[in-house]
Amino acid sequence: MKRKDFGALIIVPVLSIIISFLIGCIIIAALGASPAEALRYLWKGAFGNIRNLGTTFSRSTPLIFTTLCACFAYRCGVFNLGGEGQFLIGSILACYIATKSPLTGVPAMLLCALAGAAGGGLWAAAAGLLKIWRGQNEMIITIMLNYVATLLMGVVYTNWLRDGSVPQTIAVPDETKLPSFLGLRATIAFPVAILVGIAVFYFLFSTSGGFQLRAVGLNMTAAKVNGFNVKRYIMMSFIVSGAIAGLGGALELLGTQLRLINGFGAGYGFDGVAMALIASLHPIAGIVVAIFFAALRVGSTTMQTATGVPTSVSDIIQALVIVFTVAGMAMVKLPEFKNRFLRKAGMEG
Amino acid sequence: MGTFLANLILAGVRMASPLIFLSLAELYSQRAGLVNIGIEGIAAIGSLTGFLVSLITGSPLLGVLAGAAAGILVNMIFAYATVTLCAEQIVYGMAINIFAPALAAFIYRVYFGSGSELVQAGLMGTFKNMLGIKSNHFLVNLFLDQTPMVYLAFILVIVTAVYFTRTKSGLNYKAVGEYPKAAATLGINVIGIKYLSCVICGALAGIGGAYLTTCYSRTYVDGNIAGRGFIALAAVIFGRWNPGGVLIACLFFGFCDALQIRLQLINNTLPYQFFQMIPYVATIVVLAIIGAKKAGPKSSGQPYRKEER
Repeated sequence: MKRKDFGALIIVPVLSIIISFLIGCIIIAALGASPAEALRYLWKGAFGNIRNLGTTFSRSTPLIFTTLCACFAYRCGVFNLGGEGQFLIGSILACYIATKSPLTGVPAMLLCALAGAAGGGLWAAAAGLLKIWRGQNEMIITIMLNYVATLLMGVVYTNWLRDGSVPQTIAVPDETKLPSFLGLRATIAFPVAILVGIAVFYFLFSTSGGFQLRAVGLNMTAAKVNGFNVKRYIMMSFIVSGAIAGLGGALELLGTQLRLINGFGAGYGFDGVAMALIASLHPIAGIVVAIFFAALRVGSTTMQTATGVPTSVSDIIQALVIVFTVAGMAMVKLPEFKNRFLRKAGMEG
Repeated sequence: MGTFLANLILAGVRMASPLIFLSLAELYSQRAGLVNIGIEGIAAIGSLTGFLVSLITGSPLLGVLAGAAAGILVNMIFAYATVTLCAEQIVYGMAINIFAPALAAFIYRVYFGSGSELVQAGLMGTFKNMLGIKSNHFLVNLFLDQTPMVYLAFILVIVTAVYFTRTKSGLNYKAVGEYPKAAATLGINVIGIKYLSCVICGALAGIGGAYLTTCYSRTYVDGNIAGRGFIALAAVIFGRWNPGGVLIACLFFGFCDALQIRLQLINNTLPYQFFQMIPYVATIVVLAIIGAKKAGPKSSGQPYRKEER
């Protein structure tokens, strides 16, 4: 990667965030609140004290998993939009093992994590098989599988594992809850998410397998001509990205939510896609972006209580960040832009 | 004819209509070489705008028009980013899918506050009601117990088919999606047609969304598009990028949707969610069966840069 391009990869998202916040401030002012005050509470709510910081880490954990899921798949040119479905399948399996198996404590946690990853991987593998054997568009298939997974979760919490009259599953027993991380409100799922991120980073950029996978993503034909097993890498990127999301789902259930309920995991898949794109598909940058978005969400609750500005303002800011970042990335790649700002001399067009 | 089958056909036609609008939106976009996976999001904003305007003015028709206008506005962001800035279409479509529903949810919250009370707007009347016909014959219901929007959907399919195959302008339009550079040498305004395609796509996707809140359900809820934008993408592939094929695909998916509602009503042993899965599973199965014969516009998905030689 050229240094110039690398600069753009940082400057564009940062500028986009600033512009999005400015627009957010205008909206807040239009709603009759003080933007400075609102932003102060936003910051306080997200990072103001150790407790809030723990909440931010806790909220970022599932987002980190789905972001890494998207990063991994897109590096291989696979548009896996099914992070949400894979996440849910992972959490459904974990819910069964935690509540129905005789195991408790650490063995149960390990089995849940393993089953979650395996379930997410298999759920994604279904889409992978359809892409490879039937040449199908993986975006549509993975999105359809999201809806199927959401409905399947519905069956689980309204029927199969229902807790009495309430439409939710029975709770994970106390012994199988994930332990807290450094006494914070976040559980050990948070460091696990970061370790997975480091592992993805190491694999993609420091191993020959990762190099070949990225080569397939950059230019499938060239990779094929070079003798890389393109189909194997595509299948692998489906399974591994699905496994990352599934693991995230299992840990989210054991660590934070403890029950499956309507709305569990909703939107995490697309959020992961957005964050991966803002991070230019870089796993470590993806972790940073996920924590930033989680901070916005956690902080916006404090902002709403203190100033009455609705939390959906922060959703708008997040959505604007993605709209501006993706457009900005395209703009700096335009030949006209490069000519004007980067190389003043020569070269037509 | 059994009541079950009759009701199924009636509901199928009604459920196919929003899909027809969304699929035609995608068809117009792809025929100009733009793959827009953001129509799910555009439909969400169209749905909310349609609902609000219909609620405020009391006219579902104005709601539909406002939905179309909102769809165009949002799709202009997509147009600018992908046509002028040459952003990757899939990536930008995804950005729209995240942005537009967030905007819709935000407007709804700000307008109605955080109260949980469901607000209901009026629905568009059917011809049967307007003409005061009392008969409940199947054919009367099929042809007259429909809103004007259902007719509009089917008329648009015919208009689109004629436009793309019988008119010079339609052939020029298709040329932009097939081979834009050759089209440009023939004096066709490639960029202009791409923008025009985004106006048409935005309007139709907005109408498709508004249909759900002006003709189908009295309320707006987040996520009410429920994947129809993506099913429309599948319908365009299934329909081989031809209006006729797209119509058949939409009717098929519409019937799947109608079938799941009917089955839910007559069966109470299986959890209802299994029936709700039918349209999504049908989409996957259909795509798996038809395979990957490439029949779409050749330059679809690729950016067009005037300066490149």
